[in-house]
Amino acid sequence: MRRFDESPLDPDAETTLAVIDATLGGEAVAPEDAELAELTLILAGQRPVASEPFAAALDERVQRRFARPPRRPRRRLRWRSVLAPGAAAGLVAGLAVVVVLSAGGGGSSSGVQMPTVTSSASALSGGVGRALRAESAPSSTSSAAGSSSATSPSPATSPSASGPSSAGGATAPTPPTGGRQVVQSAQLSLSTRPNRVDDVAQQVFDVVSVQDGVVENSNVTATNSSSGYAQFQLSVPSANLQQTMSALSRLRGASVVSRTDSSQDITGQVGGAGRRLADARALRTALLRKLAAATTTSDIDSLKAQIRDAEASIASDQSTLRSLHRKVDNTQIAVTINAASAPGHPAASGSGFTIGKAGHDAGRVLVIAAGVALIALAVLVPLSLLGAIGLWIAGAVRRRRREQVLDLV
Amino acid sequence: MDRVGVRSEGVTETETLEEQTASQSTWARFEALYRSSLDDVFAYVATLLGDRSAAEDVTALAFERAYRRRVTFDRRRGDERAWVFGIARNAALDELRRRRRVATLVSDPQDTETASVHDGAEVALRRTAVKAALAGLPAREREIVALKFHAGLRNAEIAAVLGVSETAAGTLLHRTMEKLRKACDASL
Repeated sequence: MRRFDESPLDPDAETTLAVIDATLGGEAVAPEDAELAELTLILAGQRPVASEPFAAALDERVQRRFARPPRRPRRRLRWRSVLAPGAAAGLVAGLAVVVVLSAGGGGSSSGVQMPTVTSSASALSGGVGRALRAESAPSSTSSAAGSSSATSPSPATSPSASGPSSAGGATAPTPPTGGRQVVQSAQLSLSTRPNRVDDVAQQVFDVVSVQDGVVENSNVTATNSSSGYAQFQLSVPSANLQQTMSALSRLRGASVVSRTDSSQDITGQVGGAGRRLADARALRTALLRKLAAATTTSDIDSLKAQIRDAEASIASDQSTLRSLHRKVDNTQIAVTINAASAPGHPAASGSGFTIGKAGHDAGRVLVIAAGVALIALAVLVPLSLLGAIGLWIAGAVRRRRREQVLDLV
Repeated sequence: MDRVGVRSEGVTETETLEEQTASQSTWARFEALYRSSLDDVFAYVATLLGDRSAAEDVTALAFERAYRRRVTFDRRRGDERAWVFGIARNAALDELRRRRRVATLVSDPQDTETASVHDGAEVALRRTAVKAALAGLPAREREIVALKFHAGLRNAEIAAVLGVSETAAGTLLHRTMEKLRKACDASL
């Protein structure tokens, strides 16, 4: 029967308790209860009494507050000295993992600005590979050097060679040309607030205009939600590529999410087209000489037909060559602007340490800390509940085991 | 240290003690609790164990535990007196489990009120019968006699110590007294 059993007491039991309490309190009881009262007094009289030496010894221990030898505190200290550094190291490691993970994943989904500059080069001939290995870098971020071709200005002579090329301070590597024909392209992904997509898109148009480029196509969807989106396909002179990328990376209210620079060596294609063109021209010249010497109508007709074919071939090769030169002279840039729910902080697009960036970083740290705390809470609350239930069960079992001895003795 | 040399008067003294020590420090409260409960705790433990020497050890252990755990005491879960008796009870039960033997009176408690020569033979005989009947009770019933008559606890305090309802404690005490009466009558 447990504490929650509050059924009324039996009248006989109530009487017994009343007599006992009255007797112990020194009150008189009814004659019919005399026997119970006597039993009560006898039981009370058989109360064991602590001996004076024991009481005095215990008094002394109490006065000394049950002082123990200093062995136990030392053991506690040892445990602390073992556990504290381990716990601290675990905490630091956990925080580091969380910070690294959040930093790595934050670029695409929030305002954390982690520009990704990827440069890829695909050589169509072995010369490029040799150039990559052999040639020295004119700056800390570029390995391009050497002479420039007649149709493509050298990056070394380009004003952009020394300028920063991304908002995050990262400079995109300039592909090595070394007199080779290189087609460059770039992709830039920007992030901005939902209500600034229009503004940033307009800035893209302005930059293209200043850099003598062309917007080949564009698609701007401006909303006040995170679905705002803009997409541009730009064509800018290759000579202005670095300035253009730098300007696009510094747009007000936008921050760089990622940037990709690509280059493709088409020296072989250009050379092949040039050789085909020269061959066709030589053929036409030879045919023209033959035509001048031809006497029969059939020979003349046949030579004229061959000359037409040669001229068609020449036109085709010239067209191909012009197309290749256009590709070399103009760079395609794909720009996307995404409205991020966490607004891109203007300060994040600049370089160097500023109060704004510090405040932004501090805010991120607080958000991460709150996230860590939330995750910890999500883990600890169920564990605590399980622990509490376990403790309760253990306590009940321990109590039951203890009380079992009362049935044995 | 001046101890309260007589058995506490239960509710009256405890409540007065609580009132007096409400604003005192934890140590002062413990000291007051010790002074008011030592004799009662010892009497209870000695009756339960039937061994004065073991009762002294267990009593000392109980107060030491109470001292170490004094900061964990929660007044909302009961008064300090029931709390320290709960600790003493656990210590005594652990001692019984350790010994695993019947808690017979190895050495009878020194009865300070032993029958004087002036007492009649009938009274002495009656006391002896009661003592024998008490020793023959199961431990659970002997425990409630110890809590009521030797420790001087109120029925509510007994219920708190045993972890049962006050009604259950009263019923158990009533049945135990009936058993004792019958045992005494049978022996006389």
